[in-house]
Amino acid sequence: MTEILGVNAQALLPDNKKTDRPLFMVFAILAFLATLTLLASAAGYRASADWRSDLAESITVQVKPRAELNRGPNGEPSDPAIARNILLQLSAVKSVTILPPERSQELLEPWLGDTPLPDDLPLPTLLDVRLHAGQILDSQQADAALLAANIRADIDDHRQWDREIKRTTRAAQTISLTALVLIITASITAAIFATRAAITGQRRLIDVLHQVGAPPSYTARLFSTSFAMVGLKAGGVGAVAALLLSTLIGLLFSSSGGFSYFQPGLHMAFFDLYLVVAVPVILAIIIAIASWRTILKTLFEEIYP
Amino acid sequence: MHTPSSTSIPSAQTQPSAAGNNANIRANIRFERVGFRYTRDVEILSDVSFSLPRGSMTFVTGPSGAGKTTLLKLIYLHMQPSRGLITVFGQDTSQIDRKAIPTLKRRMGIVLQDFDLVDHLNVFENVALPLRVAGRKQATYRDDVLGLLKWVGLGARAHVLPQMLSGGEKQRAAIARAVIAKPEILIADEPTGNVDQDIARRLIRLFKEMNRLGTTVVIATHNTDLISEDANVLALTNGQVSRINTGMRVKV
Ligand SMILES: Nc1ncnc2c1ncn2[C@@H]1O[C@H](COP(=O)(O)OP(=O)(O)OP(=O)(O)O)[C@@H](O)[C@H]1O
Ligand SMILES: [Mg+2]
Repeated sequence: MTEILGVNAQALLPDNKKTDRPLFMVFAILAFLATLTLLASAAGYRASADWRSDLAESITVQVKPRAELNRGPNGEPSDPAIARNILLQLSAVKSVTILPPERSQELLEPWLGDTPLPDDLPLPTLLDVRLHAGQILDSQQADAALLAANIRADIDDHRQWDREIKRTTRAAQTISLTALVLIITASITAAIFATRAAITGQRRLIDVLHQVGAPPSYTARLFSTSFAMVGLKAGGVGAVAALLLSTLIGLLFSSSGGFSYFQPGLHMAFFDLYLVVAVPVILAIIIAIASWRTILKTLFEEIYP
Repeated sequence: MHTPSSTSIPSAQTQPSAAGNNANIRANIRFERVGFRYTRDVEILSDVSFSLPRGSMTFVTGPSGAGKTTLLKLIYLHMQPSRGLITVFGQDTSQIDRKAIPTLKRRMGIVLQDFDLVDHLNVFENVALPLRVAGRKQATYRDDVLGLLKWVGLGARAHVLPQMLSGGEKQRAAIARAVIAKPEILIADEPTGNVDQDIARRLIRLFKEMNRLGTTVVIATHNTDLISEDANVLALTNGQVSRINTGMRVKV
């Protein structure tokens, strides 16, 4: 016998395996969809976070050549060195490396091929700027500082990219959130429907419980725990099914060398397993509350006036 | 016929707590100029006044439609009177907090005219319901319930569903459920309607036994054969008290 919150629901309500089956299906499907949505949005979030941190850690700055170059004591152009010092002063910057001219030539190769370039062809100098972890370079501030020193530079800070990723992530999150809200609404609706049907079907039991002095909360608990149990079991089935499906999709994509966002790496496996537990529990709680409120409303309107 | 070996009901170990020494002094149920109407036009009960002392046993009689069931419903707090005053357990029923009603109901046992057994629960489970609702564990009441079922002649039927019972057996199961928790007030609506005279007398004896232990018993019945000469009677005709003898003077 299963005693839940002091109520032996199993033995007071009829054994409803057959009549509960459609309800079980509905809750399992809703849990499946909710888990899939959460898995997908978590995977998307992780992917975008990975991209963003990769991009953000290093920034390339191109210092443009000029007609009259500032020259150092050995006659080398001093703009990159000045730019380096200016950049190093910014709080987000960890280190700045002036890349050798060959790297600038590599930049032009796609257009010019590997024909040797004349020595006096003015080429931009590339600076590889490394940032402190988690910090973002304020490119406007950097631009202004460089301009003040009369240096023209292009800061390729991936800001545009970043913005794209952010926007896409946000759109995906909005879609997930909408889906979740709809799934929760559907769960509540299904629970209310099932509870109303149970109230009609078990009217005599409810009347008798009232007659023998059961408080409304007793009767409400009886029904809501029984529906919550259906939700918990169905939710477990749905969530596990969703995890299996997403793992399968992940394996398919990764073995074909494509996306790896769905592939459960070790770090995400924990979150996914946590979801498989959390989704059924949350579903059961939502069902319990919806069913509890529905039955109390009916009890107070019709039976305990 | 099963006859109890002792004169006491097996499950009744203690007297209902409220039935004290001054049982005959204080009224347990009291109506003062009570009127009741289901719809606006007809008054089903009008100017009904009486007092039932604690520990008394009273038969409510009257022709069909006289208002017996209605009167019982008012006593067991199923509804409120349209006018007048009703006190039960010394409390004005119109003043009782909604939250307190279940607690008061647990101090009453009720047998309804249509039995109200729960179809999917077997006889044992039906009879044990008041105890479960009161929070008791099966291990603590199993023997009491089985003993009582034996006493009402349902010892062999404990584990069948109500649909397998005859009308009289259902009635006995309903009565067993009403008395199992040793209520302070026992209300029975036509409890002997479906049984032969023999069983009817047995059931009346069960009620008398409950009453002897201190329970205030109110029984509505057509079956005037069961009512002894010296019994307390409240006769209703057309919603009014036509004869009264409740062992207590009515003062209004
Ligand atoms: N829910 C209701 N709504 C409207 N009228 C009702 C309702 N219940 C009972 N009545 C009417 O109230 C009157 C008294 O009914 P009640 O059930 O109290 O009679 P009774 O004395 O118990 O009769 P019986 O011996 O047949 O059980 C009847 O005329 C009946 O039609
Ligand atoms: Mg009646």
